[in-house]
Amino acid sequence: MFSLGAASLPQILPARVLGATYSTPSAKDRLNIAHIGVGGMGNGHLGYMLARQSRGDVNVVAVCDVDENRLAAAVKSTGGKATPYRDYRYILERADVDAVVIATPDHWHAVQTVHACEAGKHVYVEKPACCTIEEGKAMVRAAREHKVAVQVGSQGRSQREAFYAHQYIANGMLGRVHTVKCWHYATPSDDNPVPDSEPPPELDWDLWLGPLPWRPYNARYLHGVFRWLLESGGGQIRDRGAHVMSNALHFLGADHTGPVSIETKGRVPTKGLWDAAIEMEVTYQFKNPDWTLIWAQPGEMVPYPDRERVKREGIREGYGAVYYGDKDKLVVWVGDGQVYTEQKALDYTPPPGGVQVPKSPRFDHHEDWFEGIKTGRKTIMNIEAGVATAFLCVLGNLSLICGRKLHWDPVKQEIVGDEQARRLMSRPQRYPYTL
Amino acid sequence: MKPQSVSLLAAGAVLTASARAADQAAVADLVARIKSPDDAVRGPAWQSAGPYGAPAVGPLAEVMTDPHFEIARSARRAVAAELVKLLGHASPNVRKHALWMLSEIGEAPAVEPMAALLADPEVREDARCALERIPGAAATAALKKAMATAPEAFKYALAHTLRVRGEKVEGYPSQKRVPTKPTRVKAG
Repeated sequence: MFSLGAASLPQILPARVLGATYSTPSAKDRLNIAHIGVGGMGNGHLGYMLARQSRGDVNVVAVCDVDENRLAAAVKSTGGKATPYRDYRYILERADVDAVVIATPDHWHAVQTVHACEAGKHVYVEKPACCTIEEGKAMVRAAREHKVAVQVGSQGRSQREAFYAHQYIANGMLGRVHTVKCWHYATPSDDNPVPDSEPPPELDWDLWLGPLPWRPYNARYLHGVFRWLLESGGGQIRDRGAHVMSNALHFLGADHTGPVSIETKGRVPTKGLWDAAIEMEVTYQFKNPDWTLIWAQPGEMVPYPDRERVKREGIREGYGAVYYGDKDKLVVWVGDGQVYTEQKALDYTPPPGGVQVPKSPRFDHHEDWFEGIKTGRKTIMNIEAGVATAFLCVLGNLSLICGRKLHWDPVKQEIVGDEQARRLMSRPQRYPYTL
Repeated sequence: MKPQSVSLLAAGAVLTASARAADQAAVADLVARIKSPDDAVRGPAWQSAGPYGAPAVGPLAEVMTDPHFEIARSARRAVAAELVKLLGHASPNVRKHALWMLSEIGEAPAVEPMAALLADPEVREDARCALERIPGAAATAALKKAMATAPEAFKYALAHTLRVRGEKVEGYPSQKRVPTKPTRVKAG
């Protein structure tokens, strides 16, 4: 049910590291990594890579951010060794950079990924992969054309208990899965709106906006809160939907498919800058095989049964999904860096000849990316899968914006029978921050 | 509160409610005429939709998805015609928003007034983006025409849009991967 990529080794490895044995790379053969966006999740990625650097696995050679305070802090965390940049395009000009980790606001993901692929860099890009349908298609084209390994940061797929849930479902223990119901708490509303103002001196506001239409700075656009705007984040459905629904596509072997219809109901904010729906319910209908995916904010939360473990491990049970089959059901809690499932799945061992599902090395999403770079095989959250998941998030929001059910051709990857909605499959970008 | 104030408020509420009901009836009549299969009824309806204002936008948006393409088009034109008027607004912010809204529903009749803003330094980039999204030959022709007179720096952006629309453009190579913004932060 899971086919690995066919890219051949010489096509995907940078010539500089051909012949390297990744587990014990010599100094000259270590991947040179640059980090684009070093706040929030980006800071977490940088910390991970610095730990790998200390073990002699990689070199962190450059860091980039449009916020000079964040950039200075990142340089300091590298011991002053990484070269700082405000404009990521300087990094793409460097022939010695093999790979980039992109952890910028969502409206930058597609542009920076496409440019990095064009420059021959391997890419780890935060989720969701894209903000529009056409952005997603461009990302897939760029990765294929330039034969680089792209890993999208829906790291739930790589987690240990996700593997067991996947194995349990793929081996038919639920029977035919007909419904997946996700739950997630609501998107916050902007209860502290402020007027536009001058940007802080450390911020290059124009470059933060990048592809977005220029507008005056407002403190409620960033940092972190960009998630609650449709154009730069898309709300919980794009933020966490890119985790929880990624797992659903993965577990059901549906990465290469898509829904045929999408219908959303929701409530949008009545004040403030943030415009992503506070509550929403999206129903996705898949065909051949037929199944229904429901994204619900807040939906029906299932409490994790082991309350001691919740306290001990800080389990964020505010989101997850229930998988309903015609024989049984299975709950999968959280879905990102944390994934938890029921004991019956953890105890299950497939019979001889049973379905073998993919497993990230050491249940480590970055490690899976490294292996993709090294071997040329598809990463577990490759760009096609990342884009397929992001399309669910994008289409859910589009149905709400349009106020009607949308029909989708999963083969052509386009909205059908609705010229108005079709026009919203792309959004022109401010020059020169274009695909 | 004095009894007189209460009665005035009550009277005001009654009047407001009456006005709202009248608005709703007028909008419903407009929508019914726009949904008419008769061109002679539908055409004048969308062309005179402006005075109905904001209350008409929602109901017209519903009609924009009518399976009869001419009816759907009439609803779009009714809204677009009002947005086009905003392209001449004194505030660049209003012009900018009108352009982006037109990018979502505008058709050939909106192209010329939108393209005029390619010469407006305050919103020309928004006009380019908006036109990039409008299907059809009229938008392409307007963008080509603008290439002849646009400031040299803006021609790169216009060339990008023309290429997105499948046109071949001589010169003006993409600047998308040309770095321009050095940092003040130092290594070490």
